Amino acid sequence: MPNPVKLFYMSVWRNLLTMTRYKANFVFEILSSFLFGFGMIIFAVAFDVNLLSNMVGSTNYVAFIIIGISFQSWQGTALWGSASMFQGELSTGQIDYTFSCPFSRYWYIASNIAASALQSTLFFIPMFCVALYLTSSTLTSLGVFLGLIATLLTVAVMAQLGAVFASLVLKYRQTTAIFSFFNFAFQMLTGMFVPFQLLPTLLQIVGYCLPITFGMDLVRHHVMGTLPIMSVTYEWIGLVLQLIVYTIIAKMAVMYLEKSAKEEGLHYL
Amino acid sequence: MGTSVLCEDLIKVYNSRKTKVTALDNLSLTVKEGEVFGLLGPNGAGKTTLVRILATLLKATRGHAEVGGFDVDKQENKVRQIIGYAGQDSERSAYWRLTVRENLLYFAHALRDIPIRVSKERIDEIAEGVGFKDRLDRHFIALSGGEKQLVIVMRAILHNPQVCFLDEPSKSLDPMTARRVRTYLKKYAQEHGMTLIITTHNMLEAEEVCDRLALINHGKLRFTGTPAEFKKRVKFKETLEIGTNNLSKELESNLLTLSGVRDITHDVNVRLYCDDAFEVLPEVVDLLKNSGLKVPVKMVEPSLEDAFAFFVENGEEEVKTSA
Repeated sequence: MPNPVKLFYMSVWRNLLTMTRYKANFVFEILSSFLFGFGMIIFAVAFDVNLLSNMVGSTNYVAFIIIGISFQSWQGTALWGSASMFQGELSTGQIDYTFSCPFSRYWYIASNIAASALQSTLFFIPMFCVALYLTSSTLTSLGVFLGLIATLLTVAVMAQLGAVFASLVLKYRQTTAIFSFFNFAFQMLTGMFVPFQLLPTLLQIVGYCLPITFGMDLVRHHVMGTLPIMSVTYEWIGLVLQLIVYTIIAKMAVMYLEKSAKEEGLHYL
Repeated sequence: MGTSVLCEDLIKVYNSRKTKVTALDNLSLTVKEGEVFGLLGPNGAGKTTLVRILATLLKATRGHAEVGGFDVDKQENKVRQIIGYAGQDSERSAYWRLTVRENLLYFAHALRDIPIRVSKERIDEIAEGVGFKDRLDRHFIALSGGEKQLVIVMRAILHNPQVCFLDEPSKSLDPMTARRVRTYLKKYAQEHGMTLIITTHNMLEAEEVCDRLALINHGKLRFTGTPAEFKKRVKFKETLEIGTNNLSKELESNLLTLSGVRDITHDVNVRLYCDDAFEVLPEVVDLLKNSGLKVPVKMVEPSLEDAFAFFVENGEEEVKTSA
């Protein structure tokens, strides 16, 4: 039976081949990432620096938002990458072949999410580097290290949610509107673009259940020196607990929804 | 030879809020190891449903099925390890921006766990066999529909499965390619002891390739046996073929009143099914002459297509099961 590592590196190989096949597009995607990073500097002029300083303890809105955008990219990949892949496989009929092969469905989803996250990272490294450059005054080696660990952990938790969404595709076939609904909620409730501290208490409670809230706050804290929304230790514990809980939920969801989809047949949208 | 595929009283009901469709209705059959087995039946008969249950893609509502001795429901991963599968309408089911070679390498190594070196050798070997080696480095998107279908068939046998399910494998292939693929698959199955289960509407394919056939209609098994047995089961053993498909209603009625004429069908030509074609031939010629028609009339053996039409039209024919 194929192991997850093999599924992962073959998915990376497949994705790299696919995205580098159209060279001009590939080059411009990387250039756009730089451009977007620098474009944010203009955006920052319009923001109330004093408000940001009071809320998060930093006036560097450019770095604040670039980290948010980088997370949005990983969030997109982790949450929806696999679901989109399944929708593609359903519409071409490839799901039939895929699901007649002997491997764990959960690891197939997880490996593909990891491969897509790696691909997204490639495009967002330039933008992320711009953010790191702009935060050079507060940046330390330990800060970068902890920021990366927090990012990896957050992507891992989001991938579990991604596995649940991918399984939903097996059952409900067309799930674009469900994605849009949750995507918007995830962006608004996690402090991605506006400080988490500005949210009403009720929405903050929902936000605490989402891995991006802790992940992004930890990265901003370690990289930019912002004030955390709660004790840093609790945030780390929260992320690890979310990883455990969401992994269990994801494995059960994949198993249940595959069984359920088999009642009607997996094929075609 | 042992049993490769076993189905016992399979029932599959598709339930939706408004409709309830019984796709398989107490279907039982066995396929022996190394056999090339054809599943025939009209559209919507239940062939694809049966194949999808055996390929672990669909769950039967009731009944029991085994592939290679493994229960398709309880031991699905064991079944998946020994089967190959090419679904119906699956000619788009590969990565469009990758080449054929890259696609097959991904499927073989990532999804079938074949070492890279072996995968590459297998790809060359199978492509050589089906005459596709010169197109291995073309992008999948650039292939014609038939070529894509061929890639999907190649993918199904890439890992040398014990049992391979091909759902209408030659649907988009031109006659020459279809023949080449048929010949290769038959030879491959014989050499590797692979059980091959094919669903098809192509009677020539069924006759040339299959050791045994099953005819399914309305989810029920109508017949299993060799192609020769299948043809022999047609009650009206003799056929007269009239070289036109344009007979008047009156003439058709007159032909049907002739003693020993059982049925009449239209295709490119008109076919009369009779108990004794030689005996009825002069009367048929007379009727045609009297109607002013000068068309050739000849005696022909019933084809597999005749047998197919017979079984489909006489739906309640008892099932003949040969193991």
